[in-house]
Amino acid sequence: MVSFIFRRLVSGVVVLFVVSTLTFFLLYFSATSVARNILGESATQAQVQLKETELGLDQPLVSRYLSWLGGVVQGDFGVSWFTSQPVVGSILGRLPTTLSIVLATIVIAAVLATLLGVAAAVRRGWIDRLLQIVSIGASAVPQFVVAIVLVTVLAIQLRIFPATGYVPMNQDFGGWLASIALPILALAIGAVASTAQQVRSAVINVLSRDYVRTLRSRGLAPREILFRHVLRGAAPAGLTVLSLQFIGMLGGVVVIEQIFALPGMGFLALQSTTQGDMPVLMGVVVYIVIIVVIVNLLVDLAVGWLNPKARVS
Amino acid sequence: MKFRSVATAVAILTASALALSGCASSGTGPEPTSSEASASGGTLTIGALADIKSFDPAQAHIGHYVQYYQPVYDSLLRREADGTLVPMLATKWAYNDDNTVLTLTLRDDVTFTDGTPLDAAAVKTNLDRFPTGNGPQASTLAQVAEVVVEDPTTVVITLNAPDPALLDYLGTAAGFIASPTAIEGGAIATDPIGSGPYTLDKTATVAASQYTFVKNPDYWDPSLQVYDTIVLKPILDTTAMLNAIVSGQVNAALLTPKTQAQAAAANLTEYQYPTDWQGLLIFDRDGAMVPELADVKVRQAINYAIDKDTLLAQVGKGLGTVTSQPFGEGTDAFEKDLESAYPYDPAKAKKLMKEAGVGEFSVTMPTVSGFFDPALTAGIGQNLADIGITVNWENVAGTDLVSSMVQGKYAMSWFSLFQGSPWVAANQIITPNATYNPFHTTDPKVDELVKQIQFGSEEEQTTAAKSLNEYVVDQAWFAPFYRPSQVLFTDAKTTTEPQLQQAVPSIYSYAPAK
Repeated sequence: MVSFIFRRLVSGVVVLFVVSTLTFFLLYFSATSVARNILGESATQAQVQLKETELGLDQPLVSRYLSWLGGVVQGDFGVSWFTSQPVVGSILGRLPTTLSIVLATIVIAAVLATLLGVAAAVRRGWIDRLLQIVSIGASAVPQFVVAIVLVTVLAIQLRIFPATGYVPMNQDFGGWLASIALPILALAIGAVASTAQQVRSAVINVLSRDYVRTLRSRGLAPREILFRHVLRGAAPAGLTVLSLQFIGMLGGVVVIEQIFALPGMGFLALQSTTQGDMPVLMGVVVYIVIIVVIVNLLVDLAVGWLNPKARVS
Repeated sequence: MKFRSVATAVAILTASALALSGCASSGTGPEPTSSEASASGGTLTIGALADIKSFDPAQAHIGHYVQYYQPVYDSLLRREADGTLVPMLATKWAYNDDNTVLTLTLRDDVTFTDGTPLDAAAVKTNLDRFPTGNGPQASTLAQVAEVVVEDPTTVVITLNAPDPALLDYLGTAAGFIASPTAIEGGAIATDPIGSGPYTLDKTATVAASQYTFVKNPDYWDPSLQVYDTIVLKPILDTTAMLNAIVSGQVNAALLTPKTQAQAAAANLTEYQYPTDWQGLLIFDRDGAMVPELADVKVRQAINYAIDKDTLLAQVGKGLGTVTSQPFGEGTDAFEKDLESAYPYDPAKAKKLMKEAGVGEFSVTMPTVSGFFDPALTAGIGQNLADIGITVNWENVAGTDLVSSMVQGKYAMSWFSLFQGSPWVAANQIITPNATYNPFHTTDPKVDELVKQIQFGSEEEQTTAAKSLNEYVVDQAWFAPFYRPSQVLFTDAKTTTEPQLQQAVPSIYSYAPAK
C-alpha cells in the first residue's frame, strides 16, 4: 500500500510539473499588455516600461519560468501583479468558498444519488423509469439555467435566500449556510442526476453477478446481500463518478460563482485570466492540480479498500 | 426490501432545507438586515461593479473605485455632486498669478484614526508618494515639481507648468490623505488608516465579497456621516447585480442598459446620467497608415455615414444621447449646437467621398469578443460599407485592446471614453502626447487653443475650450456616436445624487429617502 501511495504521489508531482509548465508557457503567448493594464490608460510609456522591469517582464521567458519555479518549490508563489498581495494569501482566502460549495455538493450528491440509484436498481418498475426520466431532464439543463431559476424564485420572489454574496462560517454560521445554499442546489441537481444513473447501472450489474445469485441461494437476507456485498461491489463506480464530478465542478463552479457573486477560486481564476495576472493564475492552476491529485489518490485508496483486486492493478 | 431509510433520509434533507431557509429568513444573513436598516439611517449597502485592488491611496483610482476610498480617507478638496469644489482637509486654496504655485491651508483639528495628527508634513508625504507610486492615476500629478511644508497648516505645491485640472485631481484620487504612520507601517494596502468619516471594519469584511465601514466616532464633520455603517459589495456580474438590487440585498446598484428594464419594473428609483462618450477614434489623421484618412472630407463622410440613432437603440437600448462632439455636457467646452453637427446622411457622406476623390478603401479596426456588441460591429461595418469603406475587424484580447490602440497599431477604433473637464479630455484625446493620439497628430490651431486652456485666464480657458471643441468637430478628428447613460437604481428607502463626471455617486451623496 505504501508503495502504491508513493507511486501515485510521484505521478501526481509529474502531472503538476507538466501542467504548470505548459500553462506558464501558453500564458506567455496570450495577453502581453499587462503593465499598461495595471497602470491604466493614462500611464506614460516610461511608466509602462518601468512597470515591466519591476515585474520582470523584460527578462527572457526561460529565466522568468525558472524564477517562478524556484519560488514555488520554496512555497513562494509571488504577489499579484494587480493587488500586490501574496498569491498564497489570495488563494487561501478564496479556497474555503469554493471548497465549501463543491464538497457540500459532493456529499449531497453521494447520499442522494446512492439512495435513488439503489432504489431504482432494486425496485425497478416505476421508480426506475421515473429516475431515468428525471435524470435525463436534470442532466440536460445547464447549471447556470438552474441557478438563474433558483435565484429568481427563492431569492427575488420568495426572498428566502440571499441572491449574491458569501458569509464566512466563522462570522455567521447561519449566514454561511444561507449564502451557499443556492449555489449548492444549482450544482447538486445535475450531479445527483448523473451519479444516480451510474449507481443504478453499477448496482444492476452487481446484482446480476453469479456470486450474488450464490448468496441468494444460500438464503442470506436481501438486506444483508445488498449492504454487505452489492453496495461494496458497486461503490467503485459511484466513487469514480463522484471524483469526476468533483474535478468537473472545480471548473464549472466559475459560472456559479459569477452568478452568485461568490469570492471563490473560480472567480479568481476568471479575473486573473481576464486581467493577465499571471502569478495569481499560475497559483490557482497549481492549487487546483494539487487538489485533483489528492482527490484521485483518495478515490484510488477507497476503491482499493472496497475492492482488493484494484490494489494489485 | 423496505426503503424506510430512503424516506428517513429524504425527511432529514427536507428538514435541513427548511431549517436552512429558516436561518436565512430569520435575518441572520446580512442582506435583508441592510435593506431594512437603511430606513433608520443605519446601514447603506452599495453594489459595486468593481473590486478594489489596494487601499493604498497612492494606488487610488477614479470612477467606480472612488467609493472604496471615500469612507476611510478625506481628500484635500471635496467635489460636490455638481462638480463644485468645496473645502475638506484644505480650508483654503489659492494660485499665484501664473497658476504655477498652489498654496493650501489645512484644517488644524483633524486626527487620523491611529492618533496621528493631520498636518502639512502628512500631506506632503502623500503628495510625494502619489506620482512615484506607479498607481493608475499617478500621471495626474505629473506637473508637480515640489511640495513644500511652509508651516504645520500650509502646504505649497509648485508646478512645472499650469495644470487646469489639478484642483479636480485633489478632490479625488490624488487628494486622498492617509496617515503617514500607517504608510510607514507598510500595511496601508489592506489596512487603510485615514481621517475619513468611516473606518474599515476588518472583522465584518470579506475580501472580494464585502467591505464594511463603520462610523468614525471622532470625525470632524458629522454631517458627512449619514449612515452608521456603509457596506460595499463588489458584484462584477451585471445580472448578479440586478438580482442583488431586486431582491433587496443592496440599497443602490449601477446597472447596464440591458438590465435596466427589469430593474425599472421593480419599484426602484432610477437615475440616468452620462459620464462617457462612445464612437470612433480616428487616430490616423495624417494618413500615415490609411492615406485616405488624411482628407478631412473622408473623416466628415465617416461621421455622416454612421446611423447613430439606430446604434443607440440597438446597442444602448435607447438610453443615452446622440452627439457629434467629444466634450461632455456640463463642461466649458460643450456646445448644444454641436450635438447634431453630423446627422445620419449617407447621401452627403457619399458626396464628400466623391469630392475627396478617394475610391473604395479598407481599414482594420480592433474588436474584443464579449466587449464589443455584435450589433455595434455589424452596424459600423454596414454603415461604412455603404460609403465604400470596408472594415476588417481584428480580434484582440481584452487585455491588449488599450495597449494596441495607444501604440498606434490601428488607424481607427471604436471605444468608450470618459468625459472629463476640457483639459482632461484634451490630454486624453487631442494634445500631441495625449493617450489616444498615438500618431501624435496636431496642427498650429490646436496647439494654440490647448495653450490657451493651459495658460489662459478662466475666461480665456472657457473660450478656448469651446473653440477647440468646434475645431475638432469641424475637422472630424473623431466620430462620436452618443453619450450612453449610466443607469443607477436605489431602493425605495434610499436616495442619492449622481456625481458629475463620475460613474457612481460619491458616498456623501447617499441618504435615507424621506
